[in-house]
Amino acid sequence: MKKNPFWKVINGIGLLLLICIFALPFVWMISTSFKTLGETMTFPPNWIPNQLLWENFSKAWNSGPFLKYFLNSTIVSVGILILQFATIIPAAYAFARYRFKGNNFFFGVTMVTLMIPTQLIFLPVYLQMSAFGLLDSLWGLILPFASSAFGIFLLRQSFKQVPEELLEAARLDQASEWKIIIKIMVPMAKPVLITFAMFSFIAHWNDYFWPLVMTTTEASRTLPLGIAKLREVDGGVAWNILMAGNLILVIPILIIFFFGQRQIIRAFVYTGVK
Amino acid sequence: MSWIKARPYVMIFPAILVFTLFFLYPIGYMIFLSFHDWNFVSPVKEFVGFSNFTSLMEDAKFLQVLRNTFMYSGLTVFLTISISLLLALWLNKKGAMYGMVQGAIFSPHIISLVSISMLWMWIMDTDYGLLNWFLGLFGITNIPWLTDPKTSLLSLIIVAVWKGIGYYTLIFIAGLQSIPRDIYEAAALDDTNRIRTFFKLTLPMLSPTLFFLTIIGLIGSFQVFETISIMTKGGPINSTNTIVYYIYENGFRFFKIGYASTAGVILLLIIGIFTVFYFKLLGRKVHYQ
Amino acid sequence: MAEIRLENIVKKFNEDTVVKNLNLTIQDGSFTVIVGPSGCGKSTTLRMIAGLEAPTSGDIWIGDECVTHTEPGKRNIAMVFQNYALYPTMTVRKNIEFGLVNKKVPKAEREVLIREISDIVGLTEHLDKKPQQLSGGQRQRVALARAMVKKPKVFILDEPLSNLDAKLRGQMRRELIELHQKLGITFIYVTHDQVEAMSMGDQIILLDKGVMQQVDNPMKMYHDPNNVFTAEFIGTPAMNIVKRTEMDRYLPDLFKKAAFVGFKPEHALLVDEEWAISNYVIMESEILTTETLGAETIYAVRNEAGMMNIKSFTEPITNTKKIHVAVAYDKLYFFDIAEERIRHSYSHNTIPLSQVKKPALVGGN
Repeated sequence: MKKNPFWKVINGIGLLLLICIFALPFVWMISTSFKTLGETMTFPPNWIPNQLLWENFSKAWNSGPFLKYFLNSTIVSVGILILQFATIIPAAYAFARYRFKGNNFFFGVTMVTLMIPTQLIFLPVYLQMSAFGLLDSLWGLILPFASSAFGIFLLRQSFKQVPEELLEAARLDQASEWKIIIKIMVPMAKPVLITFAMFSFIAHWNDYFWPLVMTTTEASRTLPLGIAKLREVDGGVAWNILMAGNLILVIPILIIFFFGQRQIIRAFVYTGVK
Repeated sequence: MSWIKARPYVMIFPAILVFTLFFLYPIGYMIFLSFHDWNFVSPVKEFVGFSNFTSLMEDAKFLQVLRNTFMYSGLTVFLTISISLLLALWLNKKGAMYGMVQGAIFSPHIISLVSISMLWMWIMDTDYGLLNWFLGLFGITNIPWLTDPKTSLLSLIIVAVWKGIGYYTLIFIAGLQSIPRDIYEAAALDDTNRIRTFFKLTLPMLSPTLFFLTIIGLIGSFQVFETISIMTKGGPINSTNTIVYYIYENGFRFFKIGYASTAGVILLLIIGIFTVFYFKLLGRKVHYQ
Repeated sequence: MAEIRLENIVKKFNEDTVVKNLNLTIQDGSFTVIVGPSGCGKSTTLRMIAGLEAPTSGDIWIGDECVTHTEPGKRNIAMVFQNYALYPTMTVRKNIEFGLVNKKVPKAEREVLIREISDIVGLTEHLDKKPQQLSGGQRQRVALARAMVKKPKVFILDEPLSNLDAKLRGQMRRELIELHQKLGITFIYVTHDQVEAMSMGDQIILLDKGVMQQVDNPMKMYHDPNNVFTAEFIGTPAMNIVKRTEMDRYLPDLFKKAAFVGFKPEHALLVDEEWAISNYVIMESEILTTETLGAETIYAVRNEAGMMNIKSFTEPITNTKKIHVAVAYDKLYFFDIAEERIRHSYSHNTIPLSQVKKPALVGGN
């Protein structure tokens, strides 16, 4: 920008406006979740609620088996993450470091799955799960994501950058391949792994579609479904309770975001740039 | 086969198994189903050849769904990319303020689409919505954002653009920062003006990022579901019904599995064409080593 | 015993033969330097000894044991890599310890060994740092320590000094020589730098295009090259090698078989006027460039035989371009048409000794 003070002011106003456009909806969400139902309807809206109505949260929480939802969400997101690590690390290492017949073919298969929108093929996957008897179970939510083409892609790039000399040094140090992966490759790929972990956790914590399609009873529903159900109350939507519920869903992510903002942003950007 | 030879296969096996079971096989199965008529419960899947395809192509509702999908994806991607690019050029600066703005515009990206849909549903509410209240300050009154077929799809596009901009902007910023400075210095020494510098240097240097974002943007938008399911349920009068929602409805509500699968196959073909086009266009520039 | 023998070693990468039938013995306890230009197969040879590369055919022996098919970790060999190959996520201590842990050496013993070694290489105070926090020289020492701690029978070094600056390189060179004397085990050292080879090795193996050119001790290598390649490779600047046809006017009646004539730049004298002396070639020349290096001066000169380098240890000549280059007959080297050395002397004495004037050297004193 120019040094001209007029432009500086315009620039500043522009930046503030941007923050408003993107942050105000959340501010509204937070403030609404503390309001009485009557106060949610006042215009112009009160940005700061008249009083902090904490009971909105307990109302939301008690309107359904929210503890169950919360635990299910946690089990699914963490379970997916653990399985993904277990499958992508060895696969990425093999793709990056071994020459074998079919290396390119199988990596090609992996890349193809990367291009296929998962939501498009939910119907046959649903039928598949039904054949396995895994419908309406947490396994049905976890297994389709037990590996990640995207994770393999990222990690393979990172493993490829490790100089061959390092592996040779380790082999001369009598390290087994397993040890090389655990003691050398994984620690070196730590930034990429953290990046991927955040990416994956956020995606599956927030996921609404798969649980919606794959579950039929409360026993296996997750938090986003529970929140969506908050809307289905008779006689108009209780926006304050609904927003309180949404806040319950968002808070874990916000906490992660708060502590790892730089890392998360870098993570998402990294995944886009590579 | 010795262990050394078998090892790589053992290591990729779990991942490939998952892909086979939950991606490749389902795709095959979906193609199989698209040639059949089935209602979920009947023990017989009746082979009907291409009739699902032909009737879909004559189905005015499906054609509208396709049109909606393309309209939605095309506009969303176009708007997101152009706005993000402009924002990236603006925000690509050092300083706490710019960091904060970057954080703010990125924040919708980590929030669940469920929350975003509900939030915007309320913001776009005709009578009690924040948006109409705000526009009311300028004398524009009561736009029925989500309840009028003229504006409903546009409303969903606005939400998608709002959610996507931060991510795209940050990727563009990263792209801008990876352009070597000396190129700009050389251009400055050649007395190139800013607009020319942008079109002749910046844009070409960003083109791989641009292509990449276009393709993932399109593939991502093709599968839009959450906002539709929560905000409009495909309505009013199908104005926001897009393909994944259409498959969902046909499969889970009308139990027309063959029909739903065929719609999936058609979109898969379209995505396939896009992907091939993308790699043809970019294959020489992008090296996946 | 850790004498290393390579028998009929051939290494091919796809169609390229990188090492052609190499037969070689590396003496137990020697400091053997494998030297040659890049692409000569020296690194491949080294990596085959270490077990990082399998020979296409032939056998490798360490002592009485054929190790051709032994895993690298089991050969009792330690290696220092060109880029050190330190494990970046581990501290210096962990780096040194890694091989010991894999060998299942008990913890107490490991600690004694680490203390001992880090003392020798002077790393004690850096044990808990990560490699990125160390200077190039220190990293080099960690690499050495990591190799030494395993108490190997053979120590392999692959261009270990090429990433250091000139001053540190000189110092590390001396330290490596000392280390070799202290440990008394076989060192195999690969470099493309003939100065390193000359200054460190007690045995030099010179390779070119996968073929062994000469194996000798440094002085033999310098004074008595087997062929044009060795003659040109050892010494800076390289030996001047001229086709005999170009030298005909200076060396009448040269024996038939000689196809090339060579002399070392440092064996030429620069004299100021036409003088004649028995058993010297005299070439009237013009100085093209002068490189002054302090203790010595290198001239590029041109005469009727072509361009030549001359190294002189007197003050640089500044007052004239015209000069005469004189080389004693017994400092001439002859090579046949296959570029192999002909150990044959030349003499041609047309001027009676009585007429010979005393040469006057050019340059300040």
